[in-house]
Amino acid sequence: MRRLLNLLYDGAGYAAAVCMVLTLLAVMANIVDRFVPMPFRGLDAYAGYAMAGAGFLALAHTLKRGEHIRVTLVMGLVGPRARRALDLWSLACATVLSGALAWFSIRLVANSIAFHDISTGNDATPLWIPQLTMAIGTTVFCIAFLDELVLRLRGVEAAAASDEPLHME
Amino acid sequence: MDNALIAGLLVFALFAILGSGVWIGLALTGVGWISMALFTARPAGDAMSLTIWGSSSSWTLTALPLFVWMGEILFRTRLSQDMFSGLAPWMNRLPGRLLHTNVLGCTIFAAVSGSSAATCATVGKMTLPELRRRGYPDSIVIGTLAGAGTLGLLIPPSLIMIVYGVSADVSITRLFAAGVMPGLLVAGLMMGYIGVWALFNRKNVPQAEAGMSFKRKLAASGSLIPVVLLILGVLGSIYSGLATATEAAGVGVVGSLILSAVQGSLNRDSFMAALMGATRLFCMIALILAGAAFLTLSMGYLGLPRQLAEWIGSLGLSPLALLASLMLFYIALGCFLDGISLIVLTMGVVLPIIQVAGIDPLWFGIFVVLVVEMAQITPPVGFNLFVLQGMTGKSLLWVACAALPMFLLLMVAVFLIYWFPGIVTWLPNKVMG
Repeated sequence: MRRLLNLLYDGAGYAAAVCMVLTLLAVMANIVDRFVPMPFRGLDAYAGYAMAGAGFLALAHTLKRGEHIRVTLVMGLVGPRARRALDLWSLACATVLSGALAWFSIRLVANSIAFHDISTGNDATPLWIPQLTMAIGTTVFCIAFLDELVLRLRGVEAAAASDEPLHME
Repeated sequence: MDNALIAGLLVFALFAILGSGVWIGLALTGVGWISMALFTARPAGDAMSLTIWGSSSSWTLTALPLFVWMGEILFRTRLSQDMFSGLAPWMNRLPGRLLHTNVLGCTIFAAVSGSSAATCATVGKMTLPELRRRGYPDSIVIGTLAGAGTLGLLIPPSLIMIVYGVSADVSITRLFAAGVMPGLLVAGLMMGYIGVWALFNRKNVPQAEAGMSFKRKLAASGSLIPVVLLILGVLGSIYSGLATATEAAGVGVVGSLILSAVQGSLNRDSFMAALMGATRLFCMIALILAGAAFLTLSMGYLGLPRQLAEWIGSLGLSPLALLASLMLFYIALGCFLDGISLIVLTMGVVLPIIQVAGIDPLWFGIFVVLVVEMAQITPPVGFNLFVLQGMTGKSLLWVACAALPMFLLLMVAVFLIYWFPGIVTWLPNKVMG
C-alpha cells in the first residue's frame, strides 16, 4: 500500500516534470515559429496548459517533500500537545479543502465535456483535455493529505522539511 | 450584514487559518470559499475551479516556471566560483575590499536570477567561505550578503515582478525595465555603506592581497564571460523587442543548459535534480497563486476592495502619508508572510486604493518589490534569513541583526524613488516609449 501510494505521488511528480519540459518546448517553438512557421497554431495556449499540468500534477509530490509553505510560527511556540492538535487540525482542513478542489475540478472537466467547451484561442482545444491534469493533480493531492492525516493519527511524525532552503522565492 | 463587520470577520478568519498552520494556498482558497458561500448567492465551488483553472493556465504566467527552472540550473553550475575569481582582483583598492564581491556578485547574478533566496544562496556558496577564510568579520559578510541577495527581486528577471504584473495587469516587460535603475541604486547604496563602514573599522578589514598586473586582472575576469553572455541573451532579447518575457525565460533555460554543458557540470543527475527542484518550487508558488486568484474573485464579488478604497480615499491622505502607511503595513505583514503571498494577498485590495490616489501602478510595482525585499530579511519569516541560517549555522535573529543596516538602506531607497520617481520611470519610457 505504502509503495503504491509513493508510486502515485512520484509518478504524478514525474509527469509534472514532463509538463515542465513541454512548457519550455512550446515556448521555444513559439520563438522558432517567427522565423519558420510551425504546422500548428496556438502554441502560447499549449504552453499555458503544460504549465498548469506542471503545477497541478506536482502538488502531492511537493507536499510529501515538505516544500509547500505554511506559517509555522505558532506551532513553534506552543507545547507538543497543542502542536499535535494544530497539526491535525490543519491536515483535516487541508484534506477537506483539497477534496473540494478535486471534486469541483472533476465537475469542471465533466461540464467542459457536456457543453463541448472549446478554447477561445487559436488552438481550439477541447478544454476538458488539459483540464484533466487539474482533476488528476488535485485528486492525488487530496489522497496525499488523507494519507498524511492517517499517518499522523497513527503517530507517525511528519517527514522533515527539505534541507535545501534555496527552494524559496 | 454590515460590510465592515464582514471584512473584519474575513480578516480574522484568514489570520486564524493561516496562523494555525494550514498551507498558505489552501488557506486562501478556504477563506475565499467562506466569504463566497456565506455572503453571496453564487455557487462557490464551480467559480473556484473555473477561476483557478483560468489563472493557472494563463500564458503571461508561463515566464514564472521557466525562470524558476533557470535559477535551479544555474545554482548547480560553477557560476559562483567563476564570478568570485573574476570580481575579486578588482576590489582590493576599494575601502572594504573583497566585501564588495558580495554586492557585485549578487547584482550580476540577479540579472540572470529571479529570486532573492536563490541569489543569496548561489553567491554565498562562494563568497561566504572565501571571505571568512580571509578574516572579514562575520557580521558584515553575512549582513551584506543577506541584503544584496534581495537584489534578485529588483533586478530583472524577477519572479515577484511577474506575479505583480499578472495580478496588477502591468506589462512585465516594462516592470523589468523599471527595476534596473533602482536595482543599481540599491547596489550603490550598499557598496557605499561597505565603504563607509570600512573607513571606520580599518583594523577589521584584512590586508589587501598581492596586486595583480592589469593584464592578469583582465584575464581573471574572463571567467565572467559566460554569465555576461547569458545576461545579454535574456535581457537583450526582451529589450530589443525580439522576445516577450516568457520567450526570454525560455532562452534563459536553454542558455543555462548550454552554459552548464560547456562548464562540464551538466549530466543526467544534475539535469534531473534541477528539473525536479524547479517543478516543486513552481508548484509551491502555483498553489499560492491559485488560492489567491479565487480569494481575489470572491472579495471582488463582495465589493470589499472598492469600498475600502473609497473609505481610504475619503480620508484625504497625502500620497506620502498613504505610501508611508502602506510601507509600514507591508513591513508588518512581511514579518510573517513570504513575498509572493504578500503581493497576491493584498493586490486585490491595495490596487483600487492606488488607482483612487492616482499613483502609477508601474511605479507602485517597484515600491512593492522594494518592500518585499525588506520582508526577505525581517524575522521570523524571511527567506534570505533562512538561507543564511542554514549556510552559516548562526541563529535567525543574529542574521537579522547583521542585515539590519541593509534593511534601513532599502528604506532609504524607497524614499529616494518617492522623491525622484524618474529613477523608476526613465528607463521604461526610454526603451519602450
